[in-house]
Amino acid sequence: MNREISLVCALWLVLAAVLPVNAQTMSYADAISQLAAACRNDIARYCKGVPLGPRLKTCFDTNEARMSPQCQQTRAAVYTSISRRAAAQRNIADACGADIPRLCGTSYADAHLVECLLSVSPAAMSPQCNQTFTDTGWRTERARQ
Amino acid sequence: MKPHLISVVAAAFVIWAVATGAPAQQQINSGQMATSLAGVSNTKLSLTGAEMRQAVLDNIRNYPGALPPHALAFPQLENLAQFVVEVDFDFNSAVIRPSSYRTIGAIADALHNPILLGYGFLVIGHTDSVGGRQYNVGLSQRRADAIRDALIDPFNVNPAVLEAVGMGEEQLRDPKHPTSGVNRRVQLVNVGKKFCFGRSGEQFVCP
Repeated sequence: MNREISLVCALWLVLAAVLPVNAQTMSYADAISQLAAACRNDIARYCKGVPLGPRLKTCFDTNEARMSPQCQQTRAAVYTSISRRAAAQRNIADACGADIPRLCGTSYADAHLVECLLSVSPAAMSPQCNQTFTDTGWRTERARQ
Repeated sequence: MKPHLISVVAAAFVIWAVATGAPAQQQINSGQMATSLAGVSNTKLSLTGAEMRQAVLDNIRNYPGALPPHALAFPQLENLAQFVVEVDFDFNSAVIRPSSYRTIGAIADALHNPILLGYGFLVIGHTDSVGGRQYNVGLSQRRADAIRDALIDPFNVNPAVLEAVGMGEEQLRDPKHPTSGVNRRVQLVNVGKKFCFGRSGEQFVCP
């Protein structure tokens, strides 16, 4: 258990070192439309007819050297943001493991837990929990409803 | 009920977008999609994707040639929370155009919304009446599959909560104008709770 926590902490420290502090992940809609805009010409030229999905990512990898700098840059940011948001949604129960009993009195990683975290002020959360919860995008999605 | 009203409002948004020729980006946003899909009734849907696909094929076999005067209906779906969007595909192809990437991303954002955690969804593809009915069933199935595939990768939606069904032209939205673009659409339907969650976040089929 302790080992698990220290592993999560180590992982978080690595992420925090690599990524700008307090950076936000993009919504999937914003991320993928940035890709579509920045890479429109490159997709038409090198990946025409390639379906959105793993094959498009492979096509980008294969043709990276030929693609416009703007597309390359955007693509890297977009896929980083998408995987960071996915990881945050997957790992929220771990990242907020210490906060949840204190703030929510539950350890159920279900919709009630998320509702509780949505109701908690960011200042009351540990930095690690708050950053991961921010990365899930659930606050901004709630604001869109 | 309120959710139903919201889905009507959501549908009205889409119709407005078509009527004014607004680009696909002006369709409903992920928050409106999530709200449209929420608030499903507790009754479990007793209709599978396989049964729907069979009903579509039976409809073509029983009423060959022109479309029958009464369109194929699934009354079980009518009161479920749902919304409709347009997705652009390459001509006669299941490849989603980059102009619709945003729509797929927004559907993914909605399906990841905590209010929809653990629910299952139908992704139903519809075509207009251009082309043979049987062909259109296959095309709409491949297109619905392509949307499901993209929601899974790169957008990380759980494959176990998504079922894709191709309806072909069997349920035109505007039967008086069967070739109109409004008939080409994707319908997302909440079919009820599929998964529950345990103490450490593990998911299991709800008892």
